[in-house]
Amino acid sequence: MSAASNLLNGPQTLGQGRAFWSGAAAVLALALVYPAFVDSYDVGSSAYFLCWVFMALGLCLMWGYGGMMSFGQTFFFGVGGYGYGVIEIYLGVAHGGALASLVAALLVSGLAAALIGYFMIYGRIGGMFFGIVTFAITLALAFFLNQTAGPEWHIGAARLNGFNGMQGMDPLALPWFGGDIDLEGTPFYYFVLALLIVVYLLLRMLVNSRFGNVLVAIREDSLRAELLGYDTRRYLLVTFVIGSMLGGLSGALYCSWGQFISPSSIGLPAAAMPVVWVAFSGRSDVTATLVGTLLLIAGFQALTIYSEQWALVLMGILLAGTVLLAPDGLIVSLANALARRRARGRAVLEPSLAER
Amino acid sequence: MLADSFSYFYQFADVFAFLVLSAAGLAIIFGMMGIINLAHGEFIMCGVYVTSAAYHAGLPLPLAQACGAIAAGLIGMLLEVTIIRPLYSRPLDSLLVTWGISLVATQGTLIALGSTFPGIDMPGHSFSVGDYSFSSYRMVLFAASLCVLGFVYVLFMRTRFGVHARATMQNPGMAQALGVRKGLIYAVSFGIGTGLAGLCGALYAPTMNLIPTMGTSFLVEAFVTVVVGGANVLLGTAPAAIALGIIRTGLNAWYGQVVGEIGLLIAVILIIRVLPDGFSGWLTRRSS
Amino acid sequence: MAALVEARGLSKSFGGLFAVNDVDLTIADREIHCLIGPNGAGKSTLFKLIVGTYAPSAGSILFAGDDVTHLPAFARVGRGMSIKMQAPSVFRALPVRQNLHIALQHHVRPRDIPMEEERLLTLLGLQADAARPAGELAHGQQQWLEIGMALALRPRLLLLDEPTAGLSPDETFRTGELIQRLNAEGATVLVVEHDMAFVRQIATSVTVLHLGRVFARGTIDEIIANRDVEEIYLGSAHDT
Repeated sequence: MSAASNLLNGPQTLGQGRAFWSGAAAVLALALVYPAFVDSYDVGSSAYFLCWVFMALGLCLMWGYGGMMSFGQTFFFGVGGYGYGVIEIYLGVAHGGALASLVAALLVSGLAAALIGYFMIYGRIGGMFFGIVTFAITLALAFFLNQTAGPEWHIGAARLNGFNGMQGMDPLALPWFGGDIDLEGTPFYYFVLALLIVVYLLLRMLVNSRFGNVLVAIREDSLRAELLGYDTRRYLLVTFVIGSMLGGLSGALYCSWGQFISPSSIGLPAAAMPVVWVAFSGRSDVTATLVGTLLLIAGFQALTIYSEQWALVLMGILLAGTVLLAPDGLIVSLANALARRRARGRAVLEPSLAER
Repeated sequence: MLADSFSYFYQFADVFAFLVLSAAGLAIIFGMMGIINLAHGEFIMCGVYVTSAAYHAGLPLPLAQACGAIAAGLIGMLLEVTIIRPLYSRPLDSLLVTWGISLVATQGTLIALGSTFPGIDMPGHSFSVGDYSFSSYRMVLFAASLCVLGFVYVLFMRTRFGVHARATMQNPGMAQALGVRKGLIYAVSFGIGTGLAGLCGALYAPTMNLIPTMGTSFLVEAFVTVVVGGANVLLGTAPAAIALGIIRTGLNAWYGQVVGEIGLLIAVILIIRVLPDGFSGWLTRRSS
Repeated sequence: MAALVEARGLSKSFGGLFAVNDVDLTIADREIHCLIGPNGAGKSTLFKLIVGTYAPSAGSILFAGDDVTHLPAFARVGRGMSIKMQAPSVFRALPVRQNLHIALQHHVRPRDIPMEEERLLTLLGLQADAARPAGELAHGQQQWLEIGMALALRPRLLLLDEPTAGLSPDETFRTGELIQRLNAEGATVLVVEHDMAFVRQIATSVTVLHLGRVFARGTIDEIIANRDVEEIYLGSAHDT
């Protein structure tokens, strides 16, 4: 147990120590009781926001820790979403079918990521070309799916339906004694929240582990890492698969939430969103990405009520502005500034240590 | 028989022209400054919209098209001097910033001009070879793509600007030490790159519906052509356009549009595995 | 003594220019072998061929009797090679301690790592800077850190490309002592160097490279006495 808690904190994550974890526990407590104080519409909205965070965390892992600039998160969002839809329509919701569809959609995302990642990583495609190629396949998938409106385009009983989007799937349901629990509304909120907590903690442990140490080294100087005996391609491929599967998870959850998935979640401007969230938050840290993404999504939703175009304009400005003015990301920069101020404060209290 | 051959040639010429015209500007900026301009599609869109506005204001089509290209070029130069220049040492960051600009441009155009804009009827007539009829305007586009290649050749190989530009490309510090005005070269080169994007838009304006997101339709092809071709327009973009044009025409002819698109992407990934610096990297290395 | 490294007919060309041309090199087990030669002689390229960063255009490399010619670099490191390259390449944004941790992680048990980190920090004189980003160290300290990372792998063959570049005479002497101590503990060392005093301090045998080919071999005294070697350094000899 102490080994696990050792990994929760480490060189690759900001936010450790009693103050941070108490704060996190308080936020979690608030999140748990939140549905009791708001109406079901708001709970549904909050669950919707939470669905997207997995995609952002996945990009944070790949880009911030692995140095792989993948512009393909919405590609896997699409694979996960359409995968869930197609498989669920085939399996049906009873006897844990929907849950199995979720798992299957994740596996399909992982397989796709393994194939695409293998071609790129073992083909030594890196740097900006990694971004360009992932971007290109994302646009291509959106383009392809937009063309599939005719009835001849179907996988099993599921019609792809082109730009209209795929419908007809059931939301998730947990098999339970005495009857399935339909994961909609408040139960869905708790389900996604639980998933998020698990994924967040596991990611913290992953990036602080031996694997994470090597990943960060590869990001810093992959040749040096290779000359220390590490097969860099294998580490990058595993990272790419995990990160992309998280994109697929977001897609599958989204599809379950709205019983709908369309190519507009894959192409532009959707494809830019994960990049904006992660760049704005600070790709080098999972906690910053978690916080920043939730802030941006909530803000975006609030603005979209007035004008979706203006909300997107703001996203574009945030992306360009953050990169130009605060390239480490706003949340990370704030956290670092806070840490520096506390260190200075401590130095004032203990001048002898500060003399070093 | 002749008609069939000409039909294949026509289809190839159509794809070739599209690839060259959409990629040339991107390739120049990439070759010059090592950055990929993700707002490239929006400069194309700018060319389309300005051309259409000028045309509907009464200008004859060629003049309107010139306006489109020049507008894109000027906006590009402005952008370069203000936002892009601090990013030369940070090529990955320039990718992100240009993407942000792209978002602002598409959505901004949506806000300002709405989702549709009056288009332009395609000029020229159709002509027949055998049983098939073809559009003469598409042949004009093919001729235009060859002219663009010629223009780039003359500009970069036969003018003083070209010498300075190539020197700055190879070794900016040294070129500057020898008196080349690096800032001016970068601004003008970026402007030429975006101007060519605007020209692409201007030329294709009569063939498409005008929507603010139309830049995307050019993007994938432009990117893959530059990625496969490498940084040099003449040694890279042209051969890449030929190779990809053949692949795409063949796949379209045998299997249809969708397979053509996917097949192109697979071909790109395979080609980069073999030639990581694209055609131009391979060709320049062989000649040394 | 058995040969640890046997390179036969090793060549590397870049677009027609041969940086390394038909080089035979044998490094005996547990010796300290120095590679010298004028700039552009191909020494760093030869290093990269041995460790596997470059694939040879021709020739073969045997390491401890096994053919490693087509083995990727990380696999050769796994078999016991370790390299410190010419340009300092430490993980600049990561703390010094983390640099060592990553080097040690590959083959040292997790519970032993802190002890090994301390041992190396003491050896390198970097305890005070353990938490600082490696990029903030002085050039000489970065060189030592990189040597330390190469050592952390406890290699059978240690390749050092100009380990004393930028070091003071005192630091240079200490580096020489460090190398001799490692050699006494069982490591074979291949060093590229320009500093002749340093070479004399440590070398068992010397190979001279010139224009990609082996120009001369022998002990340091033989090499210093060789008029032809002197000439290629002074530039008066030209291959026609």
